[in-house]
Amino acid sequence: MKDTQKFKRHVRVCMGIFITLFAVLIVYLGYSVLMYGEKWFATPYNPRLHSAAESIIAGSIYDRNGNRMVWTEDGSRQYAGNADTRRALSHVLGDAYGKSVGAETIFAKYLYGMDKDILERIKDIGTGQDKNGNDISLTIDSELCEYIYDQMGGKKGSVVLLNYKTGEILASVSLPAFDPQTVGKDTPEDTSLVDRATMGRYPPGSVMKIMTAAAAVEEGIDIKYTCTGEDIIEGQKVTCAGGTAHGELTLESAFTKSCNTYFANLAVKIGGQRLLQEASKFGFNKEWNFSDINLYRSNFEVSEEEGDVAWAGIGQYNDLITPMHAAMIAGAIANDGVMMEPKLLKSVDFNGYTQFNYTPAKAGQVTDAATARTIKKYMMEVVKSGTGTSAAVKGTTMYGKTGTAEFVEDGEVKNHSWFVGFIEDSAHPYAIAVIFEGAGYGSRYAAPMAGKVMARAIR
Amino acid sequence: MTIKRKGATSILFLQLLFILPAFGLLSLRDGKFDIMTLVAGGVLVFYNLFQYNMMKVSFKHIDRFVLLAAQFLWSLGLVVLYRLDPELALKQFVCLLIGTLAMIVMMVLIRRSRDFGRLNWVFMGLTLLLLASTLVLGRTTGGAKNWIDLGFISVQPSEFAKILFIVVSAYFLTTRDKLVSFIPYMFFTAVCVMLLVVEKDLGAALLISGTFLIMFYAATGRTWLTLLGVGILGGGAFASYKLFSHVRTRVEVWQDPWSVYQDGGYQIVQGLMALASGGLLGVGLGRGMPEVIPVRSSDYIFAVIGEEFGIIIGIFVIIFYLVFIVRGILIALDARSTYDALLVFGCTAMLSLQSFIIIGGVIKLIPLTGITMPFVSYGGSSILASMIQLGIIEGVAVKNGKADEAALEMMGGEMR
Repeated sequence: MKDTQKFKRHVRVCMGIFITLFAVLIVYLGYSVLMYGEKWFATPYNPRLHSAAESIIAGSIYDRNGNRMVWTEDGSRQYAGNADTRRALSHVLGDAYGKSVGAETIFAKYLYGMDKDILERIKDIGTGQDKNGNDISLTIDSELCEYIYDQMGGKKGSVVLLNYKTGEILASVSLPAFDPQTVGKDTPEDTSLVDRATMGRYPPGSVMKIMTAAAAVEEGIDIKYTCTGEDIIEGQKVTCAGGTAHGELTLESAFTKSCNTYFANLAVKIGGQRLLQEASKFGFNKEWNFSDINLYRSNFEVSEEEGDVAWAGIGQYNDLITPMHAAMIAGAIANDGVMMEPKLLKSVDFNGYTQFNYTPAKAGQVTDAATARTIKKYMMEVVKSGTGTSAAVKGTTMYGKTGTAEFVEDGEVKNHSWFVGFIEDSAHPYAIAVIFEGAGYGSRYAAPMAGKVMARAIR
Repeated sequence: MTIKRKGATSILFLQLLFILPAFGLLSLRDGKFDIMTLVAGGVLVFYNLFQYNMMKVSFKHIDRFVLLAAQFLWSLGLVVLYRLDPELALKQFVCLLIGTLAMIVMMVLIRRSRDFGRLNWVFMGLTLLLLASTLVLGRTTGGAKNWIDLGFISVQPSEFAKILFIVVSAYFLTTRDKLVSFIPYMFFTAVCVMLLVVEKDLGAALLISGTFLIMFYAATGRTWLTLLGVGILGGGAFASYKLFSHVRTRVEVWQDPWSVYQDGGYQIVQGLMALASGGLLGVGLGRGMPEVIPVRSSDYIFAVIGEEFGIIIGIFVIIFYLVFIVRGILIALDARSTYDALLVFGCTAMLSLQSFIIIGGVIKLIPLTGITMPFVSYGGSSILASMIQLGIIEGVAVKNGKADEAALEMMGGEMR
């Protein structure tokens, strides 16, 4: 080596690289722990939660109306009500054994007092309060959940009802359910530990037409089309429910009658990439990172094939959605295109002193307000004169969209029965999503259920 | 000069302010007062003060910041080890004493560094011998065959081979100029890395190849050739991804440890939960749950630190490494001979790469590769190797100081 000046310059370059690398280390450490720490902590895998349960008296969980749902008695968790009440709330509450994900794990840091920092802990040791966790209140209406559970009559599926102005989840029921009181000893029924509302990913079927229609309205596309009950798009046959020929259609009438062939052609006209863009705005393919619920990602894909785009536009192909997300979409249409972040935690209390209150937060603008109002008008028509008449609620106007999503199970084609909708009522700004697994037409099973639940919710 | 000393003294003071309360807390664990713990803390404080002053007196020109940064790191390591298991801390402390001796020996040896070149071929042979020895005598831990059990003690030969590798590299890179003349050196590097890959010690393989590239770039300034080397390293990494199932598992685990929690993701997930449980300020010393974290005393010690002391101290640890690295590089820039400069630069580069690889792995910034955290992790070979590297850096710092002094005297000045 001859040139020491050059050598020194290269050493300095390396020093710059090292400093950058370590700066990245610091930033990433701070960012990831502060951003995702709560998620990492509140998993059923975390042995700290089980060990805390042995030494700390976990706080109680109340519903929005002050009904106590869970408390600690003689060192074990007690759940209110009879087996049906407990099952109705099982997925919202979770269990104390780490078998499922619910409030018991997601809010464990409050319940076990782990949200306190080291200074507060030292203070608590001084005052002898270190053995008590905090009480929390959820946004849930436990009586409404129980009503929904009863009405579902043991059929597999899920119902979600939320306030679309604030994002508060009033009801979230998933069947089959488990009994949190006995889940530690029982072998729970197959898949009953899975919260279908947040983790169940179903093909959306015609519910997807809300998004496809929004893209069309945004783009100003309104094709004239005559439906004959079936159509062939690039070799793939698209049929309407029951082979019904809907005749001459516009966007509005096609939406009201939920015409598949019309929307398949519309989707192709809008184009795969534009649909994908719209779906992203509506929250598809997004890794949600909500503080209160563990919401699985919804899926939307298109391919180069027009046939695939057509199917994707009517909620089949590889489209998947969770019932919670479906309710959020309905709520966003009601709320001038603004999607709110779903909230489950209402407040945290310690010794009668409120330490935390929820604040509504936006999850995104799915479409512009004008488009949202147009879609809203279509959704009103669906319940007034279209496929969703059975969802009508006495005394208020219900808006909605039915869905019948095909899936194949054991080589047999079955249908998920979907309904999403909302009411416009300043005292009760509620959006709802209902799904019954493999039940059949959306108009026949999910829609009447949605009507009943909504009527009960505004009672 | 005076300002520098004040800074060093206050770091020393801060360090004591950390060690004493930590052992105080540990002595009150389990509800009863344990005097032995306080004594252990006292011994560590005494040792650090004694070592600092002894070094300051015996070697007038040592770099205080490098020494103090290392002292902070091993003190933190000893606190955590004592909390996990006092016996581990005791063993580690004994290794630290031996390491201090090794450091001093190295500082003395480095005075004659210009003679190292004569032994170059011996060093090369020794490096390969050390690396190959585990193939014959080694035992397998954690998927890698990198330990030799000598009955009373287990050693990890790759820890020492990597220092010899720096010495060999410095010699080749300062004495050769033409690309052709580097061929034996490159061949040597390739054989070292391949031996490590065969032993499945991917951490050390990554460390050696990374250090090679950094040193090669700094010495020759051949950017394109270095980038080609990075490309080859990337290709090698990709090939091992395709060839070895355990490498594939690691990458999958890195992408989403939660989904493969049951098979392979467990360690990373436990580490992340520990960090999350600690949050900003930590749950407090002795109040965490490190017993659920695999390899908590060595590779995963950073997760334990994060849980009990919070990310704030985690960030301090990273900053102390940074102080160590920047000071190390300044010493390299100040060195009178390029050989010494490259020696110090190599040691600094290797230590920084090593701490980056393991901390980055624990916090899931990069895929996890099993490697110890310099000065902090439990492990005799590891601490000994780190101390030898510290000795090289300090030895050159002392040489630099002496040269400065001589130059000042020539000009008729006086070193204050």
